[in-house]
Amino acid sequence: MRPVKLLTAALAVALSLGASSDALAQAKDWKEIKKPALRPFKIQQPTRVALPNGAVIFLLQDRELPLINGYIVIRGGSSEEPKDKIGLVDLFGETWRTGGTKTRTGDELDDYLEMRAARVETGGDVDSTTISWNSLKGDFDDTFAVVVDLIRSPEFREDKLGIAKSQMNTVIARRNDDPMGIATREAMRLGYGKDSPYARIAEYDTVGAVTRDDLVAWHRKTVHPNNMIVGIVGDFDAKAMEQKLRKALGALPKGPAAAASKFEASPAKPGVYFVQKDDVTQSNIRMVHAGVRKNDPDYYAIQVMNEVFGGGFAARLFSNIRTKKGLAYNVGGGVGSQYDHPGLFTLSMSTKSESTVASVDALLEEIDKMQQEPISAEELRRAKDAILNSFIFQYDSKQKVLNQQLLLEYYGYPKDFLEKYQKAVESVTAEQVAAAAKKHIRKGDIALLVVGKESEFDAPLSKFGPVTTLDITIPDPGASKQTAPAAGSDEGKALMIKAADAMGGAAKLGAIKSYRMLSTLTVKGPMGEMALEADETTVFPDKQRQAMKTPMGEMTMVVTPDSGFMSMGGKMQDLPGSQKKGMLDSIRDSPMWLGSKAGDPAYTFAIAGDAKVGEIDTRVLEISGEGIRVKWCIDPKSGDLLRTIKSTPQGEQTVDFSDFRDVSGIKLPFKGVIKVGGEDSGVFQVKSFELNPQIDDAVFQKPAS
Amino acid sequence: MKVPLRGLALAMAVILLSTAMPALAQDLASFEKRIKVETLDNGLTLIVMERPEAPVFSFFIHVDAGSTQELAGQTGLAHMFEHMAFKGTDIIGTTNYAEEKKALEKVEAAYRAYDLEKRRLANRDDAKIAQLEKAWKDAIAEADTFVVKNEFGEIVDREGGVGLNAFTSSDETGYFYSFPANRIELWAYLESERFLKPVMREFYKERDVVFEERRMRIESNPIGRLVEQFLASAFTAHPYGWAGIGWPSDLRSYSATDAQKFFDTYYVPSNMVVSVVGDVKADEVMQLAKSYFGRLPKAPKPEPLRTVEPPQTSERSVVLRDPSQPFYIEGYHRPSTYDPDDAVFAVISDLMTSGRTSRLYRSLVRDKKIAAAAAGFSGFPGEKYPNLFAFYAVPTPGHTPAEMQAAIREEIERIKTTDVTADELKMVKTRAKANLIRGLANNQGLAIQLATAQNRFGDWREVFRQVDYIDKVSAAAIRRVANATFVESNRTVGIVESTKMATAPAGGQ
Repeated sequence: MRPVKLLTAALAVALSLGASSDALAQAKDWKEIKKPALRPFKIQQPTRVALPNGAVIFLLQDRELPLINGYIVIRGGSSEEPKDKIGLVDLFGETWRTGGTKTRTGDELDDYLEMRAARVETGGDVDSTTISWNSLKGDFDDTFAVVVDLIRSPEFREDKLGIAKSQMNTVIARRNDDPMGIATREAMRLGYGKDSPYARIAEYDTVGAVTRDDLVAWHRKTVHPNNMIVGIVGDFDAKAMEQKLRKALGALPKGPAAAASKFEASPAKPGVYFVQKDDVTQSNIRMVHAGVRKNDPDYYAIQVMNEVFGGGFAARLFSNIRTKKGLAYNVGGGVGSQYDHPGLFTLSMSTKSESTVASVDALLEEIDKMQQEPISAEELRRAKDAILNSFIFQYDSKQKVLNQQLLLEYYGYPKDFLEKYQKAVESVTAEQVAAAAKKHIRKGDIALLVVGKESEFDAPLSKFGPVTTLDITIPDPGASKQTAPAAGSDEGKALMIKAADAMGGAAKLGAIKSYRMLSTLTVKGPMGEMALEADETTVFPDKQRQAMKTPMGEMTMVVTPDSGFMSMGGKMQDLPGSQKKGMLDSIRDSPMWLGSKAGDPAYTFAIAGDAKVGEIDTRVLEISGEGIRVKWCIDPKSGDLLRTIKSTPQGEQTVDFSDFRDVSGIKLPFKGVIKVGGEDSGVFQVKSFELNPQIDDAVFQKPAS
Repeated sequence: MKVPLRGLALAMAVILLSTAMPALAQDLASFEKRIKVETLDNGLTLIVMERPEAPVFSFFIHVDAGSTQELAGQTGLAHMFEHMAFKGTDIIGTTNYAEEKKALEKVEAAYRAYDLEKRRLANRDDAKIAQLEKAWKDAIAEADTFVVKNEFGEIVDREGGVGLNAFTSSDETGYFYSFPANRIELWAYLESERFLKPVMREFYKERDVVFEERRMRIESNPIGRLVEQFLASAFTAHPYGWAGIGWPSDLRSYSATDAQKFFDTYYVPSNMVVSVVGDVKADEVMQLAKSYFGRLPKAPKPEPLRTVEPPQTSERSVVLRDPSQPFYIEGYHRPSTYDPDDAVFAVISDLMTSGRTSRLYRSLVRDKKIAAAAAGFSGFPGEKYPNLFAFYAVPTPGHTPAEMQAAIREEIERIKTTDVTADELKMVKTRAKANLIRGLANNQGLAIQLATAQNRFGDWREVFRQVDYIDKVSAAAIRRVANATFVESNRTVGIVESTKMATAPAGGQ
C-alpha cells in the first residue's frame, strides 16, 4: 500500500467530513512512512549577565505559565569536608533552609511560604551547594526575599541541625535493608576507593561530630557571589528581573574564591567481592572500574558504544540477557563520564540467587563480544540514529536549556558543547567504537561485586577468582572513640585477684598457652532443640579453631591474626571482619586469659555494682584493657566467677557458669548457659578439657580452594 | 513496564481552585481552545492538545483495566500482558509470521499439557512431567527462530523516541513515550499496530523476567514483603488484596493463551483512551488516528467488576519480624474516587502530609523527633474502587513502631475532634492550585492526566474540576469524614518488627 503523506491526510480531512474512518489508507510497513523534516526550531538561549562582584546570572523568559523557577549553584561541596565529619555538607544543605534566618525561624518560613504555595529549598552535593525556589509569578518578590535572607543571614538553629542529624542517622541505620542500595554504594566504594570523596559515606560518628559552628563556617567560607551561578526561568520581564537581581545580589561583597575540587581515587584491587545478604531471593551484581571525563577524546565513540552495549531496548545487554535468556529484569550499563572527574564503567544486573554465577558469565561473555567482534554497520547506524533523532529532547523545555547552560558554565565547558556533540557523534566510525571498547572496557581492571544469599548460588563465586568478603556492618555509635571505662579501684583490683586465686592463681593461669575442649552445645533451632558436638582448639592470644557437627555437615570456623574463614559442608567462605574480630576478642576476654591479667597494669578493674546470679549476691567487676571490655559477676565469698557479661553486635551476651571442676590444678566451669539480649541462646557442657596439648599448626591453615 | 504507579499523576493534580484564581480560569479557557476530543466509530476516544513549545510530542494510551480485572489463579496477568505489548506484532518482530504462528500454537499446546500435569495434586508422574517440559522447551526453541528481538523498542529508539515505558496498576494500564514532531504518522502506525495484533512471542522468557521483578519489588525488599501481606489482610474479597505483580504460583503457571484472552477482553477500543500533547495539529492527528486506530475492531466495553469489599468489622494486623529496620503502616477503608467525599480525603491527605507545615511532619519529625518521615495518603492500592487511606511512619534509630502508632493516632484524634484552622485550609487550597499549574508544563504529564481523567470520568475537564471540589471542602466535612473513617474496626495495621534494631546514637534525637 502506498504511504500516507501528510498532504493527503489534510486533503482527506477537507474533502471527507464525516467519512468513515477507514477512508484513508494506512502504511503496511513502518519503513514506508515518510518523515517530513522537523520544523526549524530556534533554541532560545538564556541571557548571561556577569555582575562586578563575580556572580554570573542566566535569565530565560518563558511565558507559557504564570510561574518562576530559580536556582543558585555555589562552588564547594562534600568532597572538601573533613573525613571525620562526613555528612557536613548534607547537614548544611538541610539546615540552611530549615534553620531559618536571623529574623525568622525555619518554621516561620515554612508557614510564610506555604501560604503562597511557594518553595525554597537548599541542598548539598559532592562539589556544590544549592538554593532553589519556585512560586507563582505574583509571589516572586516575597519568595526571592527569603532566598536573599538565607544567603545573607542564615541562622542554622541547633534544633533543626538535630532533626537533620536524626534523619541522616535513619538513613545510615537503614542502608543495609535494601540490596540494590548496598550494591550501588559498595560498587562506588570499589570503583573510587572507600576513602575517595566520591564514594565515602557518613557514619553515626561522623554525623555526630558536626556542630552548628561547622555549618556557620561552611557558609562563611563558600557562600560568596564570586562562587555563584544563578539561573532563573519563567514568566517575567527580563529587564525588570535583571534589575532586581543586580540590586539583590550585586550588593553582596566578594569573598575568597572556592578551591577547585580535587579528584582523589584509590580503586579497590580488581577481583571478586561479595556481600552476604540472606533475606533476599535475588542477587545484585555489579562490575566496575574507572571511566572517563566528558572532555575525553573518545567521549563520542563511547556514547555510541554505550548505546549499542547497554542503553535502551535494542542494546546487547537488554536483548541477550533479559529478552533472550530471561535472566534479569534490570540489566544495563556502560562507560560513565563526568564533567570534572572520571565517571565509572559500571554494569549492573539483578537475577535470582540460583542463576548468579550464570549471570556473571553472561555479562563477561557480552564484554568479550564487545571487544572481539566489531559492531556491525547496522548497529552503528541504529545507535547514531537513536542519539541524533532524540537530540531535540535535550532542548525541548526552557528549563532544560537553562540547566544545560548552567552546567557548562559551572564546569567551564564551551557553550556550544551540545551542538558539537551532534556533529561529533555523526562522524564516529565503527573502528573508533571498537578502539573505545578495547580501551575503556578492561576485563582485567574489573571489580566484580555480588550482593546476595550465597547458600543458594548456582556455583561458588570463587570460579571468578579468590573472593573477598566485604564487611558492611554499620559501625555502632561511639565506635570511633569508645567512652572511657569506669575508673579502677583498689577494691576492684582485690576482687580480681580473689577471682583469679579461686581459679588457681594468675601465675598458673598465665602458664596456660593453649587448650583443647570437647563439649556438647545445645541450641534452639527452628526444629526445636539441637545438640551439637563441638571441638575447640585455642592458642593464646590469637588463634582458634572451632569445629561443630551439625545436621547440615561439619562446620569449621578458624581465626588467626592473618585470616578468618569458615567452611560448611565443603563450602568455604571468609568470615566478615566483624565476626573475625568477635572471635579474636572472645579468646582474649575468656576467663582463663583475663584471670592471668589480675594485677596487670595494662588493665583497669572497677566495681560496677551488684547483681544476683541465681540465689547468690555477686559483685560486678568491670575489666578493661588492651581493647577488651567485659564484666564479671563474682561471688565475693568464694571468689567464683559466676557470670560474664559483654556487649556484642547482636545484643548483650551473658554466660552463667556452674559445674566447676579441677583440671590440672585449675578450677574451670564445665557448664555455661548463654543468653543474648536476654533470650536463651544455648547451653554448653564440657566433656573434656586438655591444657597445653600438642597442636599441629596445620589445623589453623586455610585449605586451598 | 518498569514502574507500576498508581494513578499518581492524577492524584497529584487532585487539587483546588481558590477564590482568587484568575490564572487558572484562564488556563481552563485556553485549554478548551487547544484540546480536541473525539470518539471514533469503534469506540476509541482520542484527545489531542496543541502545545507547540518545541517540535516534539508525547502520548499516553490509557487502558481501563489493571490487576483488579484478573481472576484468581491468574494474578499478575494484567502486568504480564503489558510486558507482552513490547514484543511486536504480526509485522514487527518476526521473520515469517505465518510459520511463527504455527510454531507458537505448538508452544501453547505443549505448555498446556505440561502445566496441567505439573498442577496435578496426586499421582504425579515426574518422568512424564520432564518429558512434557522438554517438548514445551523444544517448541519454544523452534518458535524463537522466527523472532527479531525487541524490534518494536528498537524502532522507537532509533526514530528518536524517549521515555518508552508503561505501567500497570491495580486500576489501569498505561503506555507512553515521546517522539520528535515529524514522527506523528509513525507513532500512529506503531501504537495502532501494537494493539491491533500483538503477538505473544517469547512469552515464557518474559514471564521469567517478570518473576525477577517480583523478587526485586516484593521478596528482596522488607517494605515490599510487608505491603504484600498488609494488602492481603486488608482486603478479603476485592482484588485490591493481591499485589499487581501476582502470586508466585500464578506467575509460574499462566500461559500466553491466558494473556491473549485478557487482551481480547480488555484491550477493546471502547475501553481505551489515547491522548497526544505537543507540537501537533489537532486535525491532522485526528485524521491519522482515525485512519490507523480506526482499524481496531469494535467490541463491547467489558463488564464492570462485581466484587465489592464487604465492610470490615474487626481490626486486623500483620507483623513481619525481619532483620531490617522497623516500619509502621495503618490503613482504613474509604470509598472510591467516585464518592462525593473524594475531595475531602484529598484535603486530609494534603493536610497530614504535604511539606514541613503538615501535621505528621510537625508532630512526629519536628516535635516528638521519633520519625524521619511520616505520611497519610489515599488511593492505596488504587482509586477506582473503595480503597485504603493509609498512614505510615519511618522510625528514627531507637524508636519503635508502637511509638509511631501512638503519635499517628494522636493526630487522627485531633482531626476528628478539632476543626482545622482557616489558615491551614487556605494553605491546602492554594497549594492545590499551584500544583495544578505546575503540572501543566510537561507534555507527558499532561497526556497522562488528560487521558486518565477522560477514561475514568468521561471528561478530561475533571482534571480542572477536581480543584473546584477541593475548594468546597469545609472544616466540618473533614471532621465528619475523619470520624466515619478512622475507627478501630475499619483498620488494618502493618508492622516491621526489627530483629536487629539499630543502636540509637548517644544524644541522638
